[in-house]
Amino acid sequence: MFYRRAGIRHTRYQDERQIWPLPFDRRLALLIFLLAIFAPLLIDRLYLVSYLLPWVIWSTAALGLNFLMGGAGQIHLGYGAVIAIGAYASVHMVRAGLPFELAMIGGGLLSAAVGMIFGATALRVKGLYLAMATLAMQYIVDFVIIQFPAISGGTQATLQVPRVSFLGVEVTGDLAPYYVALLICLLVTLFMLNLRRSSFGRALAAVREKDYAAAVIGVNTFRYKLLAFWVSSFIGGVVGSVLAVCYYRAISPDQFHLDLSIQLVAMVIVGGLGSVLGSFFGAALILFAPILLNQFFGFAASELGMTISTDLRSHVPLMLYGAMIVGFLLWEPLGLAKIYANLRNYFLVWPFRHARQ
Amino acid sequence: MSERPTRTSWDKQEALARPVGLSKGGREAPVLVCADIERRFGGLRALKGVSLSVEKGEIFGLVGPNGSGKTTMVNVMTGFYPPSSGTVTLFGQDVSGIAPHRIASLGVARTFQNLALFKGMSVLDNIMLGRHTAMRPSALGTFFYWWWSQREELAHRRVVEETIEFMQLEDIRNEPVEVIPIGLQKRVELARALVAEPRFLILDEPMAGMNQEEKEYIARFILDAREERNTTILIIEHHMDVVTAICDRVVVLSYGEIIAEGEPRAAIADPAVVKAYIGERAARRQAGAAA
Ligand SMILES: Nc1ncnc2c1ncn2[C@@H]1O[C@H](COP(=O)(O)OP(=O)(O)OP(=O)(O)O)[C@@H](O)[C@H]1O
Ligand SMILES: [Mg+2]
Repeated sequence: MFYRRAGIRHTRYQDERQIWPLPFDRRLALLIFLLAIFAPLLIDRLYLVSYLLPWVIWSTAALGLNFLMGGAGQIHLGYGAVIAIGAYASVHMVRAGLPFELAMIGGGLLSAAVGMIFGATALRVKGLYLAMATLAMQYIVDFVIIQFPAISGGTQATLQVPRVSFLGVEVTGDLAPYYVALLICLLVTLFMLNLRRSSFGRALAAVREKDYAAAVIGVNTFRYKLLAFWVSSFIGGVVGSVLAVCYYRAISPDQFHLDLSIQLVAMVIVGGLGSVLGSFFGAALILFAPILLNQFFGFAASELGMTISTDLRSHVPLMLYGAMIVGFLLWEPLGLAKIYANLRNYFLVWPFRHARQ
Repeated sequence: MSERPTRTSWDKQEALARPVGLSKGGREAPVLVCADIERRFGGLRALKGVSLSVEKGEIFGLVGPNGSGKTTMVNVMTGFYPPSSGTVTLFGQDVSGIAPHRIASLGVARTFQNLALFKGMSVLDNIMLGRHTAMRPSALGTFFYWWWSQREELAHRRVVEETIEFMQLEDIRNEPVEVIPIGLQKRVELARALVAEPRFLILDEPMAGMNQEEKEYIARFILDAREERNTTILIIEHHMDVVTAICDRVVVLSYGEIIAEGEPRAAIADPAVVKAYIGERAARRQAGAAA
């Protein structure tokens, strides 16, 4: 377990540039992968559907947003709207008879196109102004979906998802949706892991860190910022279609409002900007903290005889997100991932004090 | 930091510094021609009609007191500040007003006076970024890393490792760039510029804040870069010992105008230059003392 770095020598650049150069991390990743694959055998179906599935989907969404915020350094307060576009577009496509696989890509492309138009403002504005521009996107998209019955699906404003199949397997029951979501999550995760060691990811990071220095080595900063919005929105759109088909199964506009965008930003910041692992941590915390809190309140109400209004109960999670964002920004701007990294570094060389990786 | 020329070990190396058979008189097109460059910042005229040209294979010095417009001149050449008037021609192509990344892709690399490295990245990644124009980055290439990008990545890694070795950065290549000392950071930035295999390399005070030994190192690297890679180099430098030792030709700027040019030693000894550096009264006193 300890001295995990000792004796490990890489003799080829290829080995040194592995996603996880240390065997320990590779084994850990494999273990988590196997646990995810065999989860339906290991945990109750109820937990699978109501906890694990949303965690997988929201982690994928957080990865997509983290690509933009952590990878390219652009803030986005309207990622919920990006997901909404993908969800509505792909549901309409499958309702029109398109196969789910194509609808998923179609939803991604539409999200990417709209996201890039709003992202284009990122080329002119920075910081607060970009935040406002993306916030505007959230409201405009919300408005358009609600105002056009052709999009939202008429008066009662829920759009049923028909039965679909993915790669020949019907996406019904508990298992198929979980595995579809897991596959998409895996693909996005691999993309994000490779980002760090590819020229594309480096160029994005260069634009994020110092745009004039990026320009001087030949990076077209204009193009890369646009690309960052394109790719991130594409992932968001695909997540939207997975969310609609595998989880919600019937979508309505209120599922994609501003509070979703805020939750996603919270996931990224609490988890760790630019960290793949952090996106999973962040999604877990934002997803499960309110549930635990609610259970705590239920316990407090029944066992301790405290009276807590439902109003308060529903607002506490929102306050908690706010508190967590502020807390992490103040004390650990790199989020849960950094806390994990510190721990890992400590044990990497225990009982000594110095760690390099 | 207007240092007066001092006699150092530099003068001894002079013979080494000036290679024979330089294509100076040879009728090859100049690498850079700046014609009548003017650059204004609001009411301030930072450059007032500067014309200069840099020949192929040359080490060209740009000197002058603080605030004389050297960095501004370089920013005009590399597209950061489009000239208010005048034209910049690189490799025979008019590039006035063209974006910096397009000038970089023509084969021009530069370093900055106040370091422009990417924090949070390792030394290696910083230098790898120097290969950007030679690589084909794409989102799909990242997604299909094992099939599309890996081989390219490794091939360029080899080129980068050569430069890492050349610049003696082996033992810090995995350090985050912000934790290493400034002198080394300057060297990393020079390495990043070199791995681009530029035809024209622009260095803005690469030796600022270095001690004599580090300066000698950098000067060696610059000379080697010219020798081994046939790079044309423009260097801004305040250390006159270095300038006289390695430059073939210099231009001296003062208040945005050229006040002297030509062979380094002669140009620097020019009365106008002495005056610009140490002030009129001191110059007269010095002239009196010499007489
Ligand atoms: N972006 C800018 N906006 C306004 N004024 C500027 C700008 N850049 C440079 N200047 C002005 O132009 C003049 C020339 O500056 P420059 O940086 O080119 O001098 P320099 O020769 O590089 O000096 P140093 O030796 O100190 O580096 C200075 O008066 C400076 O204040
Ligand atoms: Mg300067």
